[in-house]
Amino acid sequence: MGRAIVITSGKGGVGKTTTTANLGAALAQLGHSVVLVDADIGLRNLDVVMGLENRIVYHLVDAIRGKCTAQKALIKDRRMENLWLLPASQTDDKDAVTPEEMRKLIGELRATHDFVLIDSPAGIEQGFKNAIAGADEAIVVATPEVSSIRDADRVVGLLAAADVPARLIVNRISPNLVKKGDMLSQADVIEILALELLGAVPLDDIVIATTNKGVPAVLEGKGLAAKELTRIAKKLAGVEVEDKEAVGFFTRLSRALGLSASPA
Amino acid sequence: MESTNALAAAVEEPIAVRPAAILKGTARGLEALVDGSAPIDAITAALTSRIEEAPGFFRGSDVRVRVEDGPLAAGCLARLDELAARFDLRIVEVSAAKKAADADAVPQPSLAAGTAPAPAAPVAPVESASSPVVAAQADPELAVLMQMLDAPAPSAPAAPVTTPEPEPELAAAAPGARLVIGPVRSGVILEHRGHLVIFGDVNPGAEVRAEGNIVVLGRLRGTAHAGIGRDVGFILALRLEPQQLRIGRKVARAADSDTPANDAEIAYCTGDAIVVERYLGKLPKNLATSI
Repeated sequence: MGRAIVITSGKGGVGKTTTTANLGAALAQLGHSVVLVDADIGLRNLDVVMGLENRIVYHLVDAIRGKCTAQKALIKDRRMENLWLLPASQTDDKDAVTPEEMRKLIGELRATHDFVLIDSPAGIEQGFKNAIAGADEAIVVATPEVSSIRDADRVVGLLAAADVPARLIVNRISPNLVKKGDMLSQADVIEILALELLGAVPLDDIVIATTNKGVPAVLEGKGLAAKELTRIAKKLAGVEVEDKEAVGFFTRLSRALGLSASPA
Repeated sequence: MESTNALAAAVEEPIAVRPAAILKGTARGLEALVDGSAPIDAITAALTSRIEEAPGFFRGSDVRVRVEDGPLAAGCLARLDELAARFDLRIVEVSAAKKAADADAVPQPSLAAGTAPAPAAPVAPVESASSPVVAAQADPELAVLMQMLDAPAPSAPAAPVTTPEPEPELAAAAPGARLVIGPVRSGVILEHRGHLVIFGDVNPGAEVRAEGNIVVLGRLRGTAHAGIGRDVGFILALRLEPQQLRIGRKVARAADSDTPANDAEIAYCTGDAIVVERYLGKLPKNLATSI
Protein backbone atom coordinates (compact mmCIF):
# COMPACT_ATOMS: atom_id res chain seq x y z
CA MET A 1 0.00 0.00 0.00
CA GLY A 2 1.54 3.30 -1.05
CA ARG A 3 1.43 6.65 0.68
CA ALA A 4 -0.89 9.45 -0.36
CA ILE A 5 0.59 12.90 0.25
CA VAL A 6 -1.24 16.13 -0.50
CA ILE A 7 0.78 19.23 -1.37
CA THR A 8 -1.11 22.32 -0.29
CA SER A 9 -0.61 25.92 0.82
CA GLY A 10 -3.76 27.96 1.11
CA LYS A 11 -2.28 30.83 -0.86
CA GLY A 12 -1.86 30.54 -4.60
CA GLY A 13 1.36 30.97 -6.53
CA VAL A 14 3.73 29.71 -3.85
CA GLY A 15 4.94 26.75 -5.90
CA LYS A 16 2.66 23.85 -5.05
CA THR A 17 2.54 22.52 -8.58
CA THR A 18 6.26 22.91 -9.22
CA THR A 19 7.02 21.24 -5.90
CA THR A 20 4.66 18.37 -6.69
CA ALA A 21 6.23 17.81 -10.11
CA ASN A 22 9.76 17.90 -8.75
CA LEU A 23 9.15 15.72 -5.71
CA GLY A 24 7.36 13.22 -7.92
CA ALA A 25 10.19 13.12 -10.43
CA ALA A 26 12.79 12.87 -7.67
CA LEU A 27 10.92 10.02 -5.97
CA ALA A 28 10.69 8.26 -9.32
CA GLN A 29 14.44 8.73 -9.79
CA LEU A 30 14.90 6.97 -6.47
CA GLY A 31 13.13 3.98 -7.98
CA HIS A 32 9.64 4.39 -6.54
CA SER A 33 6.52 4.20 -8.62
CA VAL A 34 4.76 7.54 -8.35
CA VAL A 35 1.41 8.97 -9.46
CA LEU A 36 0.90 12.71 -9.52
CA VAL A 37 -2.74 13.70 -9.15
CA ASP A 38 -3.81 17.15 -10.28
CA ALA A 39 -6.71 18.02 -7.97
CA ASP A 40 -7.04 21.55 -9.33
CA ILE A 41 -10.14 20.79 -11.36
CA GLY A 42 -10.93 23.52 -13.86
CA LEU A 43 -7.46 25.09 -13.67
CA ARG A 44 -5.15 22.24 -14.46
CA ASN A 45 -1.44 23.01 -14.54
CA LEU A 46 0.48 19.96 -13.51
CA ASP A 47 0.27 18.49 -17.00
CA VAL A 48 1.90 21.62 -18.43
CA VAL A 49 4.67 21.65 -15.85
CA MET A 50 5.31 17.98 -16.61
CA GLY A 51 5.21 18.63 -20.35
CA LEU A 52 2.40 16.12 -20.85
CA GLU A 53 -0.50 18.36 -21.82
CA ASN A 54 -0.88 17.04 -25.33
CA ARG A 55 -1.22 13.44 -24.22
CA ILE A 56 -4.36 13.86 -22.15
CA VAL A 57 -7.25 11.66 -23.24
CA TYR A 58 -9.05 10.95 -19.97
CA HIS A 59 -8.89 12.89 -16.77
CA LEU A 60 -9.72 12.68 -13.08
CA VAL A 61 -13.39 13.51 -13.48
CA ASP A 62 -13.74 10.84 -16.19
CA ALA A 63 -12.20 8.29 -13.86
CA ILE A 64 -14.53 9.26 -11.03
CA ARG A 65 -17.60 9.24 -13.26
CA GLY A 66 -16.67 5.77 -14.47
CA LYS A 67 -16.04 6.84 -18.05
CA CYS A 68 -12.75 4.99 -17.77
CA THR A 69 -10.78 3.19 -15.10
CA ALA A 70 -8.36 5.16 -12.97
CA GLN A 71 -5.46 3.21 -14.43
CA LYS A 72 -6.54 4.07 -17.94
CA ALA A 73 -6.63 7.80 -17.20
CA LEU A 74 -2.98 7.78 -16.09
CA ILE A 75 -0.44 9.28 -18.46
CA LYS A 76 3.04 7.83 -18.36
CA ASP A 77 5.84 10.37 -18.16
CA ARG A 78 7.94 10.93 -21.28
CA ARG A 79 11.22 10.39 -19.47
CA MET A 80 10.57 7.89 -16.75
CA GLU A 81 8.98 4.47 -16.65
CA ASN A 82 7.65 4.71 -13.12
CA LEU A 83 6.16 8.22 -13.07
CA TRP A 84 2.50 8.80 -13.92
CA LEU A 85 0.13 11.72 -14.06
CA LEU A 86 -3.60 11.80 -13.46
CA PRO A 87 -4.58 15.14 -15.00
CA ALA A 88 -7.47 17.31 -13.84
CA SER A 89 -10.41 18.14 -16.01
CA GLN A 90 -10.27 21.59 -17.54
CA THR A 91 -13.97 21.95 -18.22
CA ASP A 92 -15.54 20.97 -14.89
CA ASP A 93 -15.35 22.81 -11.62
CA LYS A 94 -14.46 21.83 -8.07
CA ASP A 95 -17.98 20.62 -7.29
CA ALA A 96 -17.72 17.94 -9.98
CA VAL A 97 -16.32 15.51 -7.41
CA THR A 98 -16.91 14.89 -3.73
CA PRO A 99 -14.37 14.13 -0.98
CA GLU A 100 -15.83 10.61 -0.76
CA GLU A 101 -15.20 9.98 -4.46
CA MET A 102 -11.68 11.34 -4.17
CA ARG A 103 -10.97 9.08 -1.21
CA LYS A 104 -12.01 6.09 -3.24
CA LEU A 105 -9.95 7.12 -6.26
CA ILE A 106 -6.81 7.81 -4.23
CA GLY A 107 -7.31 4.49 -2.47
CA GLU A 108 -7.29 2.73 -5.83
CA LEU A 109 -4.12 4.51 -6.95
CA ARG A 110 -2.16 3.86 -3.80
CA ALA A 111 -2.92 0.18 -4.06
CA THR A 112 -0.75 0.03 -7.16
CA HIS A 113 1.89 2.72 -6.55
CA ASP A 114 4.41 3.62 -3.85
CA PHE A 115 3.55 7.31 -3.75
CA VAL A 116 0.46 9.28 -4.71
CA LEU A 117 1.21 13.01 -4.68
CA ILE A 118 -1.90 15.17 -4.80
CA ASP A 119 -1.50 18.72 -6.06
CA SER A 120 -4.09 20.78 -4.19
CA PRO A 121 -5.70 23.93 -5.58
CA ALA A 122 -5.27 27.21 -3.73
CA GLY A 123 -7.97 28.14 -1.25
CA ILE A 124 -9.72 26.24 1.49
CA GLU A 125 -13.00 25.51 -0.19
CA GLN A 126 -14.37 22.46 -1.96
CA GLY A 127 -11.24 21.90 -4.06
CA PHE A 128 -9.07 21.84 -0.98
CA LYS A 129 -11.45 19.52 0.82
CA ASN A 130 -11.40 17.16 -2.16
CA ALA A 131 -7.61 17.26 -2.36
CA ILE A 132 -7.02 16.35 1.27
CA ALA A 133 -9.79 13.76 1.42
CA GLY A 134 -7.73 10.78 0.35
CA ALA A 135 -4.40 11.89 1.80
CA ASP A 136 -2.79 10.43 4.88
CA GLU A 137 -0.11 13.08 5.13
CA ALA A 138 0.37 16.62 3.91
CA ILE A 139 3.16 18.90 2.79
CA VAL A 140 2.44 22.57 3.34
CA VAL A 141 4.35 24.84 0.98
CA ALA A 142 4.94 28.40 2.18
CA THR A 143 7.07 31.19 0.85
CA PRO A 144 8.78 33.44 3.40
CA GLU A 145 6.13 36.14 3.13
CA VAL A 146 3.61 37.12 5.77
CA SER A 147 0.63 36.56 3.47
CA SER A 148 1.74 33.06 2.59
CA ILE A 149 2.47 32.21 6.22
CA ARG A 150 -0.92 33.47 7.34
CA ASP A 151 -2.68 31.26 4.81
CA ALA A 152 -0.44 28.31 5.59
CA ASP A 153 -1.29 28.68 9.27
CA ARG A 154 -4.98 28.51 8.45
CA VAL A 155 -4.44 25.43 6.31
CA VAL A 156 -2.39 23.72 9.01
CA GLY A 157 -5.33 24.22 11.36
CA LEU A 158 -7.73 22.73 8.83
CA LEU A 159 -5.41 19.79 8.22
CA ALA A 160 -5.14 19.16 11.95
CA ALA A 161 -8.93 19.23 12.20
CA ALA A 162 -9.07 16.66 9.41
CA ASP A 163 -6.42 14.52 11.16
CA VAL A 164 -3.86 14.85 8.39
CA PRO A 165 -0.34 15.29 9.78
CA ALA A 166 1.56 18.04 8.00
CA ARG A 167 5.17 18.90 7.33
CA LEU A 168 6.58 22.09 5.88
CA ILE A 169 8.54 23.13 2.82
CA VAL A 170 9.69 26.74 2.78
CA ASN A 171 9.91 27.67 -0.87
CA ARG A 172 11.81 30.37 -2.77
CA ILE A 173 13.99 31.44 0.06
CA SER A 174 16.80 33.80 -0.83
CA PRO A 175 19.80 33.28 1.47
CA ASN A 176 21.25 36.67 0.59
CA LEU A 177 18.07 38.52 1.45
CA VAL A 178 17.74 36.55 4.68
CA LYS A 179 21.30 37.44 5.59
CA LYS A 180 20.59 41.11 5.00
CA GLY A 181 17.50 40.83 7.18
CA ASP A 182 15.16 41.66 4.32
CA MET A 183 13.49 38.27 4.21
CA LEU A 184 12.06 35.97 6.84
CA SER A 185 14.29 32.98 7.43
CA GLN A 186 13.00 29.43 7.54
CA ALA A 187 13.47 29.59 11.30
CA ASP A 188 11.03 32.50 11.43
CA VAL A 189 8.53 30.56 9.36
CA ILE A 190 8.84 27.46 11.52
CA GLU A 191 8.45 29.52 14.63
CA ILE A 192 5.03 30.71 13.55
CA LEU A 193 3.78 27.54 11.93
CA ALA A 194 5.25 25.14 14.48
CA LEU A 195 5.67 22.38 11.90
CA GLU A 196 8.41 19.93 11.15
CA LEU A 197 10.57 21.29 8.33
CA LEU A 198 11.13 18.98 5.38
CA GLY A 199 13.35 21.46 3.61
CA ALA A 200 13.93 25.01 2.45
CA VAL A 201 14.11 25.38 -1.32
CA PRO A 202 16.18 28.33 -2.46
CA LEU A 203 14.97 30.77 -5.09
CA ASP A 204 16.51 29.51 -8.31
CA ASP A 205 16.17 30.85 -11.86
CA ILE A 206 16.75 27.38 -13.23
CA VAL A 207 13.41 26.23 -11.83
CA ILE A 208 11.59 28.94 -13.77
CA ALA A 209 13.38 28.01 -16.97
CA THR A 210 12.83 24.26 -16.67
CA THR A 211 9.22 24.65 -15.55
CA ASN A 212 8.48 26.64 -18.68
CA LYS A 213 10.04 23.88 -20.76
CA GLY A 214 7.83 21.28 -19.13
CA VAL A 215 10.71 19.52 -17.41
CA PRO A 216 10.97 19.21 -13.62
CA ALA A 217 14.22 20.82 -12.48
CA VAL A 218 15.36 17.69 -10.65
CA LEU A 219 15.51 15.84 -13.98
CA GLU A 220 17.92 18.42 -15.38
CA GLY A 221 19.93 17.96 -12.21
CA LYS A 222 21.14 21.53 -12.14
CA GLY A 223 20.88 24.17 -9.47
CA LEU A 224 20.50 24.47 -5.73
CA ALA A 225 16.72 24.13 -5.80
CA ALA A 226 16.92 20.80 -7.62
CA LYS A 227 19.47 19.59 -5.11
CA GLU A 228 17.28 20.52 -2.17
CA LEU A 229 14.15 19.03 -3.76
CA THR A 230 16.00 15.75 -4.30
CA ARG A 231 17.11 15.83 -0.69
CA ILE A 232 13.50 16.38 0.42
CA ALA A 233 12.35 13.47 -1.73
CA LYS A 234 14.92 11.22 -0.07
CA LYS A 235 13.73 12.38 3.32
CA LEU A 236 10.13 11.63 2.32
CA ALA A 237 11.13 8.17 1.17
CA GLY A 238 12.84 7.52 4.48
CA VAL A 239 16.41 7.65 3.18
CA GLU A 240 18.80 9.00 5.80
CA VAL A 241 19.83 12.50 4.84
CA GLU A 242 21.74 15.02 6.85
CA ASP A 243 19.61 17.93 7.87
CA LYS A 244 20.73 21.27 6.66
CA GLU A 245 21.09 24.09 9.10
CA ALA A 246 17.47 24.91 9.62
CA VAL A 247 17.57 26.59 12.98
CA GLY A 248 19.10 29.74 14.30
CA PHE A 249 21.99 30.04 16.67
CA PHE A 250 19.90 30.67 19.76
CA THR A 251 17.60 27.77 19.04
CA ARG A 252 20.60 25.50 18.68
CA LEU A 253 22.14 26.93 21.82
CA SER A 254 19.00 26.42 23.86
CA ARG A 255 18.54 22.98 22.37
CA ALA A 256 22.10 22.14 23.38
CA LEU A 257 21.26 23.33 26.85
CA GLY A 258 18.11 21.25 26.82
CA LEU A 259 15.82 24.25 27.12
CA SER A 260 13.74 24.03 24.00
CA ALA A 261 10.81 21.75 23.50
CA SER A 262 10.46 20.05 20.18
CA PRO A 263 7.96 21.76 17.88
CA ALA A 264 4.41 20.48 18.22
CA MET B 1 -56.41 42.32 21.43
CA GLU B 2 -53.96 41.25 24.01
CA SER B 3 -51.13 41.29 21.54
CA THR B 4 -51.83 44.84 20.44
CA ASN B 5 -51.77 45.98 24.00
CA ALA B 6 -48.44 44.38 24.60
CA LEU B 7 -47.11 45.94 21.44
CA ALA B 8 -48.23 49.37 22.54
CA ALA B 9 -46.63 48.83 25.87
CA ALA B 10 -43.37 47.78 24.31
CA VAL B 11 -43.23 50.82 22.11
CA GLU B 12 -44.63 53.57 24.27
CA GLU B 13 -44.13 52.70 27.88
CA PRO B 14 -41.07 50.56 28.24
CA ILE B 15 -40.54 51.59 31.82
CA ALA B 16 -44.00 51.53 33.27
CA VAL B 17 -44.89 48.10 31.90
CA ARG B 18 -42.26 45.47 31.33
CA PRO B 19 -42.36 44.48 27.63
CA ALA B 20 -42.83 40.86 26.75
CA ALA B 21 -39.62 40.83 24.76
CA ILE B 22 -36.72 43.15 24.07
CA LEU B 23 -34.14 42.90 21.33
CA LYS B 24 -30.80 44.40 22.17
CA GLY B 25 -27.24 44.46 20.98
CA THR B 26 -24.73 43.33 23.56
CA ALA B 27 -21.02 42.72 23.60
CA ARG B 28 -21.77 39.12 22.68
CA GLY B 29 -24.09 39.88 19.81
CA LEU B 30 -27.79 40.20 19.32
CA GLU B 31 -29.84 39.18 22.31
CA ALA B 32 -33.57 38.67 22.73
CA LEU B 33 -34.69 39.10 26.32
CA VAL B 34 -37.96 37.29 26.65
CA ASP B 35 -40.36 37.49 29.56
CA GLY B 36 -41.17 33.85 30.11
CA SER B 37 -44.35 34.68 31.99
CA ALA B 38 -45.82 36.75 29.13
CA PRO B 39 -48.27 35.25 26.64
CA ILE B 40 -46.76 33.80 23.48
CA ASP B 41 -48.57 36.28 21.26
CA ALA B 42 -47.26 39.22 23.22
CA ILE B 43 -43.70 37.94 22.91
CA THR B 44 -43.84 37.36 19.19
CA ALA B 45 -45.64 40.65 18.58
CA ALA B 46 -43.06 42.63 20.52
CA LEU B 47 -40.19 40.98 18.65
CA THR B 48 -41.86 41.29 15.27
CA SER B 49 -42.47 44.99 15.66
CA ARG B 50 -38.88 45.55 16.75
CA ILE B 51 -37.41 43.61 13.84
CA GLU B 52 -39.75 45.18 11.34
CA GLU B 53 -38.35 48.59 12.17
CA ALA B 54 -35.13 47.54 10.43
CA PRO B 55 -35.39 44.05 8.97
CA GLY B 56 -32.28 44.51 6.85
CA PHE B 57 -30.15 45.36 9.83
CA PHE B 58 -30.95 42.16 11.64
CA ARG B 59 -30.97 39.81 8.67
CA GLY B 60 -28.59 36.87 8.95
CA SER B 61 -27.71 37.63 12.56
CA ASP B 62 -27.21 35.10 15.32
CA VAL B 63 -29.57 35.62 18.21
CA ARG B 64 -29.24 34.45 21.77
CA VAL B 65 -32.56 34.08 23.48
CA ARG B 66 -32.52 34.74 27.19
CA VAL B 67 -35.60 33.85 29.14
CA GLU B 68 -36.49 35.86 32.23
CA ASP B 69 -38.97 34.47 34.71
CA GLY B 70 -39.10 31.27 32.72
CA PRO B 71 -39.89 28.64 31.75
CA LEU B 72 -41.30 29.50 28.37
CA ALA B 73 -44.80 28.36 27.63
CA ALA B 74 -45.09 25.22 25.55
CA GLY B 75 -44.94 26.00 21.84
CA CYS B 76 -43.25 29.33 22.36
CA LEU B 77 -39.88 28.11 21.10
CA ALA B 78 -41.50 26.84 17.95
CA ARG B 79 -43.04 30.27 17.40
CA LEU B 80 -39.68 31.90 17.93
CA ASP B 81 -38.21 29.50 15.38
CA GLU B 82 -40.83 30.53 12.85
CA LEU B 83 -40.09 34.15 13.57
CA ALA B 84 -36.37 33.58 13.16
CA ALA B 85 -36.90 31.80 9.86
CA ARG B 86 -39.17 34.58 8.62
CA PHE B 87 -36.59 37.30 9.28
CA ASP B 88 -33.60 35.16 8.35
CA LEU B 89 -32.19 35.02 11.86
CA ARG B 90 -30.46 32.14 13.59
CA ILE B 91 -31.18 31.24 17.18
CA VAL B 92 -27.87 29.97 18.46
CA GLU B 93 -28.59 29.72 22.14
CA VAL B 94 -31.48 29.65 24.57
CA SER B 95 -30.68 30.28 28.20
CA ALA B 96 -31.99 31.59 31.45
CA ALA B 97 -31.29 35.21 32.19
CA LYS B 98 -31.75 34.96 35.94
CA LYS B 99 -29.60 33.65 38.71
CA ALA B 100 -28.33 30.08 38.65
CA ALA B 101 -30.97 28.93 41.10
CA ASP B 102 -33.60 29.54 38.46
CA ALA B 103 -31.79 27.46 35.87
CA ASP B 104 -33.72 24.32 36.75
CA ALA B 105 -36.96 26.00 35.90
CA VAL B 106 -35.82 26.68 32.37
CA PRO B 107 -36.46 24.21 29.58
CA GLN B 108 -33.03 24.66 27.99
CA PRO B 109 -29.76 24.30 29.88
CA SER B 110 -27.88 27.52 30.17
CA LEU B 111 -24.49 28.02 28.65
CA ALA B 112 -22.94 28.65 32.02
CA ALA B 113 -23.77 25.14 33.10
CA GLY B 114 -21.23 23.88 30.57
CA THR B 115 -23.67 21.63 28.80
CA ALA B 116 -24.21 21.89 25.10
CA PRO B 117 -27.19 24.12 24.49
CA ALA B 118 -30.00 22.45 22.66
CA PRO B 119 -30.26 24.08 19.27
CA ALA B 120 -33.62 25.72 18.94
CA ALA B 121 -33.25 26.28 15.24
CA PRO B 122 -32.24 23.58 12.80
CA VAL B 123 -28.88 25.11 11.96
CA ALA B 124 -25.73 23.05 11.79
CA PRO B 125 -22.91 25.20 13.17
CA VAL B 126 -24.55 26.00 16.46
CA GLU B 127 -21.58 24.87 18.44
CA SER B 128 -19.38 27.54 16.84
CA ALA B 129 -21.29 30.23 18.60
CA SER B 130 -22.28 28.68 21.81
CA SER B 131 -20.08 25.87 23.07
CA PRO B 132 -17.83 26.95 25.91
CA VAL B 133 -14.66 26.46 23.90
CA VAL B 134 -14.68 26.50 20.18
CA ALA B 135 -11.45 24.99 19.06
CA ALA B 136 -13.01 23.76 15.89
CA GLN B 137 -12.72 25.62 12.67
CA ALA B 138 -15.27 28.30 13.01
CA ASP B 139 -17.41 29.31 10.12
CA PRO B 140 -15.59 32.32 8.62
CA GLU B 141 -18.85 34.12 8.04
CA LEU B 142 -19.65 33.68 11.66
CA ALA B 143 -16.30 35.08 12.62
CA VAL B 144 -16.90 38.19 10.57
CA LEU B 145 -20.38 38.52 11.95
CA MET B 146 -19.18 38.18 15.49
CA GLN B 147 -16.61 40.83 14.88
CA MET B 148 -19.21 43.13 13.44
CA LEU B 149 -21.52 42.58 16.32
CA ASP B 150 -18.72 43.03 18.73
CA ALA B 151 -17.44 46.30 17.40
CA PRO B 152 -19.20 49.35 18.66
CA ALA B 153 -21.68 50.46 16.04
CA PRO B 154 -22.16 54.15 16.64
CA SER B 155 -23.48 54.93 13.20
CA ALA B 156 -26.07 52.18 12.99
CA PRO B 157 -29.37 53.92 13.55
CA ALA B 158 -31.21 50.75 14.37
CA ALA B 159 -28.77 49.60 17.03
CA PRO B 160 -30.86 49.28 20.13
CA VAL B 161 -28.42 50.62 22.67
CA THR B 162 -30.81 50.25 25.51
CA THR B 163 -28.60 48.85 28.23
CA PRO B 164 -25.13 50.31 28.51
CA GLU B 165 -24.73 48.94 32.02
CA PRO B 166 -22.69 45.76 32.43
CA GLU B 167 -24.45 42.50 33.01
CA PRO B 168 -23.49 41.40 36.49
CA GLU B 169 -25.01 37.95 36.26
CA LEU B 170 -22.46 36.95 33.60
CA ALA B 171 -19.54 37.56 35.88
CA ALA B 172 -21.25 35.62 38.60
CA ALA B 173 -21.97 32.71 36.30
CA ALA B 174 -18.49 32.58 34.79
CA PRO B 175 -16.77 29.26 35.43
CA GLY B 176 -13.08 29.04 36.20
CA ALA B 177 -10.15 29.13 33.85
CA ARG B 178 -9.86 26.94 30.79
CA LEU B 179 -6.44 25.74 29.73
CA VAL B 180 -5.76 25.41 26.02
CA ILE B 181 -2.71 24.00 24.31
CA GLY B 182 -1.67 26.16 21.35
CA PRO B 183 -0.88 27.22 18.82
CA VAL B 184 -4.22 28.83 18.15
CA ARG B 185 -4.11 29.15 14.39
CA SER B 186 -5.44 31.66 11.93
CA GLY B 187 -9.19 31.38 11.46
CA VAL B 188 -9.84 29.79 14.83
CA ILE B 189 -12.06 31.52 17.37
CA LEU B 190 -11.58 30.35 20.92
CA GLU B 191 -14.32 31.32 23.35
CA HIS B 192 -14.77 30.77 27.04
CA ARG B 193 -17.07 32.21 29.64
CA GLY B 194 -14.42 32.25 32.36
CA HIS B 195 -10.71 32.94 32.09
CA LEU B 196 -8.59 31.60 29.25
CA VAL B 197 -5.03 30.38 29.60
CA ILE B 198 -3.25 29.45 26.39
CA PHE B 199 0.00 27.51 26.37
CA GLY B 200 1.58 28.46 23.08
CA ASP B 201 1.08 31.15 20.51
CA VAL B 202 -2.04 32.88 19.28
CA ASN B 203 -1.27 33.42 15.63
CA PRO B 204 -2.33 36.33 13.43
CA GLY B 205 -5.89 35.83 12.23
CA ALA B 206 -6.91 33.89 15.33
CA GLU B 207 -9.18 35.31 17.99
CA VAL B 208 -9.41 34.44 21.67
CA ARG B 209 -12.42 35.66 23.59
CA ALA B 210 -13.26 35.39 27.26
CA GLU B 211 -15.64 36.94 29.70
CA GLY B 212 -12.84 36.76 32.22
CA ASN B 213 -9.16 37.47 31.70
CA ILE B 214 -6.77 36.04 29.13
CA VAL B 215 -3.26 34.77 29.73
CA VAL B 216 -1.11 33.73 26.78
CA LEU B 217 2.01 31.81 27.71
CA GLY B 218 3.50 32.45 24.32
CA ARG B 219 3.14 35.11 21.65
CA LEU B 220 -0.14 36.89 21.25
CA ARG B 221 -0.16 37.90 17.60
CA GLY B 222 -3.85 37.64 16.86
CA THR B 223 -6.80 39.36 18.44
CA ALA B 224 -7.77 38.99 22.08
CA HIS B 225 -11.01 40.10 23.69
CA ALA B 226 -11.18 39.89 27.48
CA GLY B 227 -13.78 41.06 29.93
CA ILE B 228 -16.66 40.60 27.52
CA GLY B 229 -19.74 42.04 29.13
CA ARG B 230 -17.78 43.22 32.14
CA ASP B 231 -15.62 46.10 30.89
CA VAL B 232 -12.92 45.18 33.36
CA GLY B 233 -10.16 42.69 32.77
CA PHE B 234 -6.67 42.08 31.55
CA ILE B 235 -4.75 40.32 28.81
CA LEU B 236 -1.33 39.07 29.71
CA ALA B 237 1.15 37.60 27.24
CA LEU B 238 4.79 36.64 27.30
CA ARG B 239 5.05 38.56 24.01
CA LEU B 240 2.25 41.00 23.45
CA GLU B 241 2.24 41.66 19.70
CA PRO B 242 -1.48 41.61 18.97
CA GLN B 243 -3.39 42.72 15.94
CA GLN B 244 -6.00 44.12 18.25
CA LEU B 245 -6.80 44.09 21.94
CA ARG B 246 -10.31 44.42 23.25
CA ILE B 247 -11.32 44.60 26.86
CA GLY B 248 -15.02 44.97 27.47
CA ARG B 249 -16.11 47.56 24.98
CA LYS B 250 -12.72 49.22 24.61
CA VAL B 251 -10.58 48.51 21.58
CA ALA B 252 -6.87 49.11 21.14
CA ARG B 253 -4.55 48.25 18.32
CA ALA B 254 -0.78 48.16 18.13
CA ALA B 255 0.88 51.37 17.07
CA ASP B 256 2.07 51.09 13.49
CA SER B 257 5.66 51.67 14.49
CA ASP B 258 5.56 49.63 17.66
CA THR B 259 8.60 47.52 18.37
CA PRO B 260 7.55 44.68 20.63
CA ALA B 261 9.12 44.49 24.05
CA ASN B 262 11.12 41.46 25.04
CA ASP B 263 9.24 41.07 28.28
CA ALA B 264 5.89 39.82 29.34
CA GLU B 265 3.34 42.60 29.10
CA ILE B 266 -0.10 43.12 30.49
CA ALA B 267 -2.92 45.09 28.94
CA TYR B 268 -5.72 46.04 31.26
CA CYS B 269 -8.75 48.20 31.44
CA THR B 270 -10.35 49.63 34.49
CA GLY B 271 -13.17 51.28 32.64
CA ASP B 272 -11.60 54.29 30.92
CA ALA B 273 -8.94 53.07 28.53
CA ILE B 274 -6.70 50.14 27.77
CA VAL B 275 -3.28 50.46 29.36
CA VAL B 276 -0.31 48.31 28.36
CA GLU B 277 2.65 47.94 30.64
CA ARG B 278 5.44 45.56 31.43
CA TYR B 279 4.36 42.71 33.64
CA LEU B 280 6.54 42.76 36.71
CA GLY B 281 5.33 39.65 38.44
CA LYS B 282 2.15 40.96 39.96
CA LEU B 283 -1.10 42.49 38.85
CA PRO B 284 -1.67 46.21 39.09
CA LYS B 285 -3.42 46.99 42.35
CA ASN B 286 -6.80 48.03 41.08
CA LEU B 287 -7.02 44.87 38.98
CA ALA B 288 -6.32 42.33 41.68
CA THR B 289 -9.73 42.95 43.19
CA SER B 290 -11.54 42.55 39.89
CA ILE B 291 -10.72 38.91 39.29
